[in-house]
Amino acid sequence: MSELMDKICLCIERGKVDKKAPYPPDMMNQDGADEYAREAIKAGESPDNILAACNTAMERIGDKFSRNEVFVPELLMAARAMNGVMEHLKPFFQAGNIKTKGTFVLGTVAGDLHDIGKNLVSMVVEGNGWKVVDLGVDVKTDKFLKAIEEHPGCAVGLSALLTTTMANMAATVKRIKELHADTVVIVGGAPLSHKAAKEMGADGYAANPQETVRILNSLVG
Amino acid sequence: MTDQQWNNLLAIIRGETLDARPSGFVIDCPWLPNWYGVNILDYFSNDEIWLEANLKAIREFPDTLFLPGFWSEFGMCTEPSAFGARCSFPANEFPHAHKVIHSAEEIDSLEVPNPATDGLLPLVLNRLRLAEPKIKAAGHEIRFAVARGPLNIASYLMGSTEFLMAMMMTPDRAHRLMRVITDFLNAWIDLQMKTFPTIDGIFLLDDIIGFIGDTEFRTFGLPYFKELYDKDVSVKFLHNDAPCRVSAPYLPEIGVNLFNMGFEVNLNELKEVTGNRVTMLGNIPPRDVLASATPDEVEQATRALVESLDDPSRVIFSCGGGMPPGVSSENVQAFLRGLK
Ligand code: B12
Repeated sequence: MSELMDKICLCIERGKVDKKAPYPPDMMNQDGADEYAREAIKAGESPDNILAACNTAMERIGDKFSRNEVFVPELLMAARAMNGVMEHLKPFFQAGNIKTKGTFVLGTVAGDLHDIGKNLVSMVVEGNGWKVVDLGVDVKTDKFLKAIEEHPGCAVGLSALLTTTMANMAATVKRIKELHADTVVIVGGAPLSHKAAKEMGADGYAANPQETVRILNSLVG
Repeated sequence: MTDQQWNNLLAIIRGETLDARPSGFVIDCPWLPNWYGVNILDYFSNDEIWLEANLKAIREFPDTLFLPGFWSEFGMCTEPSAFGARCSFPANEFPHAHKVIHSAEEIDSLEVPNPATDGLLPLVLNRLRLAEPKIKAAGHEIRFAVARGPLNIASYLMGSTEFLMAMMMTPDRAHRLMRVITDFLNAWIDLQMKTFPTIDGIFLLDDIIGFIGDTEFRTFGLPYFKELYDKDVSVKFLHNDAPCRVSAPYLPEIGVNLFNMGFEVNLNELKEVTGNRVTMLGNIPPRDVLASATPDEVEQATRALVESLDDPSRVIFSCGGGMPPGVSSENVQAFLRGLK
């Protein structure tokens, strides 16, 4: 990796968004992911390499998280820094020079507001090169359907943390499958299981973000 | 809780061993309405139903401590409602509050609500006041001032992601938010204590402390929790069923002497990191065992918990977290058999 790529990677891993960001305190007043990404593009660095640096950084912070060395806020900051880099890559995505692996529409189902796990899934999937459309919490079926129409060919992820809202999840899966039989639906959340996923007609179940990425990547070969 | 139960609780907290192994459960809207056979909205909107459901629990399990006991609440809407949050009450699902702060800048104009008049809080208090004679007639007293914790309320007002990011990106504003919420909570706890002189405990519930690291906990958690628990009461009770390895070592410093944790953590380890100065209320898995397992499996899991303890002092047997939806009376009885 070139020196600039190393810097982008480090800024993402440490959650250093841009020069004016006060976090992390030990990098105060230093350039951040935003500045280095701009510099890299100006220097003619390939967008693919920049994207790869993002993935590496997200993988590193994800590993630290699994080892309890960092916590949710650090992960959120890394994702924020990565999003800053992505902004610079937008023109390349639009021009088709680089491609996302696909679109993942994600949300916590109706009646349920637990979103910490869903947000972790969102960050890791995004860090792995997918475009994530996060619909938030308490997402009614219609909102999922609308997003599917707006993002043809997307995969859909539903999160539920309550046994009571698993019923809403099942209803949403059913409706999606009725109207968009080919749309891949993956479900997750602590009360879910492979068995529950199968019973509600979902295509997959993942217990954590890494498994979610594995399933999604298998869809694009 | 009856006087006898309260005295037992105080004895356990002092480290004394009782004749029978003690059991206790945090009960509220996730369990009571369904167990009592009413829908959740009826439980919230009819004070008689709320009272009868609570009375049925204490009659059916007279030897178990129910904490906080006769908890007057509107689920996760209780405190956010005072800040003006839109509250959704689906007929038979758990209520939830919507955000009131949509950017960190909006924290600057947030005002401290008045717990005597704002949101659902007057209804919470008045329900309890009207029920008090019947609670006393059943031999029980109102023992706890109860509230969601400051980080929990902050994450409701802003959204969990936004609040956690505010800690990192706009720490001054995050502190201002914690200040406003803590001032509000102090007033809310004081009002409960003034209304019910029988209160001798504080119960705060905050899962969001489970998601932050040591630096953030020491900055945005510790000082505010210390302030909130700095009151002249005998029982200082905290619930956090999210991860607790970071915050648990600080419990004695905060003043907490009773803790309801998540089921993933081992009680021996928790007792060690707190120097056995905190009474533990836990910790068989609530959803996957207490609610979903067969009575035999519940009994076995309870026995296994009892046998796993290096030191049974300062332990009240329970599930790790509040009583979840769908726990049958049979499973509670099986749990109690497992303690015999
Ligand atoms: C934190 C928490 C809260 C917070 C939520 C904050 C937030 N913004 O998310 C607050 C305090 C607000 C809360 C509220 C409630 N909660 Co709650 N909560 C929890 C707690 C402690 C942790 C959940 C969590 O975030 N875990 C950490 C994350 C990282 O894990 P995760 O969500 O499982 O996600 C991972 C995987 O499941 C997977 N995944 C998640 N989503 C998805 C999606 C896809 C597509 C895929 C593939 C994978 C995937 O990947 C994630 C990362 O590894 C659990 C207990 C526990 N220890 O699990 C109770 C728990 C879920 N809550 C419970 C209850 C009852 C409630 C309330 C009803 C309580 C009340 N009195 O009102 C309300 C819900 C109101 C509502 N309408 O939704 C119960 C549910 C019981 C049941 N049988 O359903 C639990 C299990 C506690 C218990 N007593 O048993 N809660």
